[in-house]
Amino acid sequence: MSGRVIVITSGKGGVGKTTTNANIGTALARAGKKVVMIDTDLGLRNLDLLLGLENRIVYTIVDVVEERCKLRQALVKDKKNPNLCLLAAAQTRDKTAVTEEQLKKICEELQKDFDFILVDCPAGIEQGFQNAVAGASEAIVVTTPEMSAVRDADRIIGLLEAKEEIKSYKLLLNRVRPNLIKSNDMMSVEDVVEILSADLIGIIPEDTGIITSTNKGDPIVNDENSLAGKAYNNVARRIMGEDVPFLNLEEDTGVFAKVKKFFSGLMGKEK
Amino acid sequence: MKDIFQDLFNKVFGFFRQAEKEENAKETAVNRLRVVLMQDRTNLTPELLEKMRGELIELLSKYVEMDKDALELNFEQEGNQMALMLSIPVLRAKDEDEIEAAETSDEENEESSEDNDEEQVSEDENDTRTDETESEKQESNTNSKQNKSK
Repeated sequence: MSGRVIVITSGKGGVGKTTTNANIGTALARAGKKVVMIDTDLGLRNLDLLLGLENRIVYTIVDVVEERCKLRQALVKDKKNPNLCLLAAAQTRDKTAVTEEQLKKICEELQKDFDFILVDCPAGIEQGFQNAVAGASEAIVVTTPEMSAVRDADRIIGLLEAKEEIKSYKLLLNRVRPNLIKSNDMMSVEDVVEILSADLIGIIPEDTGIITSTNKGDPIVNDENSLAGKAYNNVARRIMGEDVPFLNLEEDTGVFAKVKKFFSGLMGKEK
Repeated sequence: MKDIFQDLFNKVFGFFRQAEKEENAKETAVNRLRVVLMQDRTNLTPELLEKMRGELIELLSKYVEMDKDALELNFEQEGNQMALMLSIPVLRAKDEDEIEAAETSDEENEESSEDNDEEQVSEDENDTRTDETESEKQESNTNSKQNKSK
């Protein structure tokens, strides 16, 4: 078996890299794939929290690199899904504790046993980014329809294009607010795709459910009724090669829709 | 009932008209991003852009009288192609005598600040005829650009 190594990156912080990682990983595992997630955000680890695994971590990636434990020993199994594992980041060390070569080696090792290796990349374009990308051959660039996030995504895409090892990258548009797009207050999905001229792999709506799911340490894909959960599930299916149409995120609840509704009601009466 | 309808219609119509007039937040974002990404991608600093603008004004004012403050030099994107768009509000094209006068004064006074184009012209007086056709071409170019952008 030779698993696919996918790095999830964004440049800007706070756009939902880690949330994306946790949800795509969980969705892939739910689909029966063997998945391992690597948190490379040394010193600022969070993936363990999103998965609810913070109390189960014994060894971290730094322990593996410094040979205090075997790679297999450092993998933490998910509570719900035995197909899903986490290799946690060290909280007490910084980005220099692991090198590009070491990460590459870890990825190669994990490729033997897993279908997917998802690498959670730290924000920024410094060494942490270089490390995270080192072992990957695919990338998912997470961005939101905000100017600063799109600008940073453009930088990241430029850096990814310069890397020979990265064979393909896809865009994931997070925290989309259909009502704001409708009222022309937010850039649309098409705007962002056109500006970045990249292929889209997912559109995730802004969803307050993300906050509660993070608080519980239970990724939102486990909630069958959530729209964001469905959207993340679709991303996972697209990663597996399925042709899944994008969700229609438009709900007719905006002021615009109400006026339209009121109007058509009146028109009906006039007739 | 009719009054309510009329009122609502006016309100909605007014909203549309207002939205049409002003650039909305989305358009502003898209336009600002386009410009900033162009600069990010080319590594062209605002200082260099300003320098380029200054030199272009210097060169072109030999041939046309223009509104220097309204001159616009911007990056624009057409598909995947990036274009440097120059929009010059031309007040008046200079006549041949003026251009020649500018050239001779250039020759005498500002040898050091001349760029390549000008050097070629001033080195050989026999070349002035080809230079004239060149200047005409340039005028028509700037005019057409202006038409396009206004």
